[in-house]
Amino acid sequence: MGGLAKLAGYRTHVSIIADILSTAKQYSYEGYDEGASVTHLIRKANVPHQRLSGMVSLLKQSGLLYEDSAKYRISDKGIQFLNAYAEFKGFAEGFGLKV
Amino acid sequence: MAFDAFELGMNLLGLGISAFIGRFAYAGYSAIASPNLLRLTFAFISVAAGFVLLAVAEFVEPVESSRAVATAGLGVQAIGYFFIAFSHSVKSFDFAPPKYFALLPFTIAPFIIPGNSIEHLVRSISFILLVYVSIETMASYMQNRRTSTLMIGSGLGMLALAEIMAWYSFVYPGAFFYVAIAIKIVGFGLLFVPFSKFGLASGLGGRFSKVGGI
Repeated sequence: MGGLAKLAGYRTHVSIIADILSTAKQYSYEGYDEGASVTHLIRKANVPHQRLSGMVSLLKQSGLLYEDSAKYRISDKGIQFLNAYAEFKGFAEGFGLKV
Repeated sequence: MAFDAFELGMNLLGLGISAFIGRFAYAGYSAIASPNLLRLTFAFISVAAGFVLLAVAEFVEPVESSRAVATAGLGVQAIGYFFIAFSHSVKSFDFAPPKYFALLPFTIAPFIIPGNSIEHLVRSISFILLVYVSIETMASYMQNRRTSTLMIGSGLGMLALAEIMAWYSFVYPGAFFYVAIAIKIVGFGLLFVPFSKFGLASGLGGRFSKVGGI
């Protein structure tokens, strides 16, 4: 149990993706219709620019995120992903694990 | 024969519960591609396969072959418990343990394992893995205070208790064998209760099956 102190801190790859999509969702639907800029994603999702670029490309390829005039918006598939993430996060946390 | 029917019924119940949880974990993996959900899938599919072998062993003749099939079933279940333990170990280690640590169980095994039975060995390994997983889950409960984590940690603890009681009845035949089977199913029941909240509400995750992985 040596890692207990670190548990609260570290994020998994999937949880970082969920943070990026949540930010894009926030800027797509809640009064920010133009979408989230890269700066918004970096600041809200707390991911370095170099890593964010790779992840955003992956999310665009997967159809979870789309780009419109250098702004990123969440797709319907991305919203479904966030719903599934919330559901299975609870399931994994029941086992003391992170998704 | 009534006791055999009881054992068969308990094994089939365990098969149903573990297969449901494994199916839901797979739905989670296919939806969000989480490695931990893949490990949980492997774990519960292995446990379910172990229950299949334990049920098949009821019908195998002669007795030696039946015990061999049952031991194989216990071994497959131990592999399942390993996958859950592995998920926790990935999370826990914040240092790289020296490689020779892997040899430690083999060096101390002759002193703690009776030695002449593969079934002893398999049950010992299952017990150690389940105790570890139960402690890790309870440690997570101390952090997040979720009722579901408490129930799953208790369920895993019950599975560990069942293993050691079954081992005891192996040393002293007939002592607690059926009690051990009943405790094992109660343990899986405790795993199932919080799962039912997630799994059945979403149709075993089928609602999310079209999301697709990353």
